[in-house]
Amino acid sequence: MEALAVAIVASFAALSAAIGVAIVVRSTLQGITRQPELRGPLQTVMFIGIPLVEALPILAIVIAFLLL
Amino acid sequence: MDHSSPVIYLFDVPWLAVNLSNILMITVACIIVFLVSFFMSRTVRMYPTGAQNALEYLIQFIKNIISNVMDWKEGKHFVMLGITIILYVFVANMLGVPFELVREPGHEVWWKSPTSDPILTISLALMVILLTHYYGLKLKGAKEYGKDYFRPIWFLFPFKIIEDFSNTLTLGMRLFGNVYAKEVLMGMLVGLRSFGFFAAAGAILPLVVWQGFSVFIGSLQAFIFCMLTMVYMSHKVNEEH
Repeated sequence: MEALAVAIVASFAALSAAIGVAIVVRSTLQGITRQPELRGPLQTVMFIGIPLVEALPILAIVIAFLLL
Repeated sequence: MDHSSPVIYLFDVPWLAVNLSNILMITVACIIVFLVSFFMSRTVRMYPTGAQNALEYLIQFIKNIISNVMDWKEGKHFVMLGITIILYVFVANMLGVPFELVREPGHEVWWKSPTSDPILTISLALMVILLTHYYGLKLKGAKEYGKDYFRPIWFLFPFKIIEDFSNTLTLGMRLFGNVYAKEVLMGMLVGLRSFGFFAAAGAILPLVVWQGFSVFIGSLQAFIFCMLTMVYMSHKVNEEH
C-alpha cells in the first residue's frame, strides 16, 4: 500500500514539475527570441524561477521518501 | 541492491548517530578542493597562464552571478563564499560519478557522493540561511533588518517567517533529491549484472549515458546552489529604496 502511495506522489510531483518548468523555460525562450540582447538577464531570472517552481514538487518527493 | 550505511553511535548514546562514510567523503571532498585551489594559485603572474586562467575564469563567473542579483557594494563580501560553495558542491557531486565502493558483508557503502545524504545537504542549506541572517544584521543594522520583515506590507510577516523555513528545506532537498536519484539509478544499472551476461551487457550503454548526464546534473546543481545562496543573501542584504 505504501509503495502505491509513493508511486502516486512521485509521479504527480514529476508531472507538475515538468509542466511548471516547461512553462518557465518556454517564456524565457520567447523572450530571448524577441530580444536576443537580453539573453544574460533572462537566463538569470530563469535560473531563479525554476527553483521556485520546483520547490513544491521537491517537498512532495520528500514526503514520498518519508513514506517509503 | 539494499545498501546500508556504516552508522556508529558515539558513546553509545542513541541520538548521537554518526555516518562514517559521510565523514570520509566530506574529508575527501574538502582535501580535493583545498589542494586544487592551493596549487592553482601558487604561481600568480601578471600575465596569467594555465591554471591561473582557470581560477580567474571561475572568480569572474562568481562575480557575474553576484552582480546579477545585488549591488557590488554589498556583493564584494561574498566572492569567496561563492567560490567555496560552488567548488565544494561540484566536487562532492562528482565524487560518486565514476564508481562506488561497497564493503561486502552488509552492503555498506563507503565511497559515494556525500551530497546524496539529506543530513549533509540540509546542514549546508542551514548554514547558508544562518549566514544570510548574520550578514543582514551586520550590513544593514538590527533596525533595518527587523523592519524588513514588515515590508512591503505588514501582513506579509508570517509569510516571511515561513519563507525562511521553506528556503532551507528546498535548498537542501533539491541538491539531495538530484544526487540521490543519480545514485539510485546508477546502483540499479550496476545491479543488473546479477541477472546474467546479457542484462549486464545491455546495461553498459545506459550506464555510460547516465554517468554523462550525472556530470551535467552535478555541475548544474552546484551552479544553482551558489546562485540561490546569492539570491537569498540579496533578499537580506540589499537596501530597497
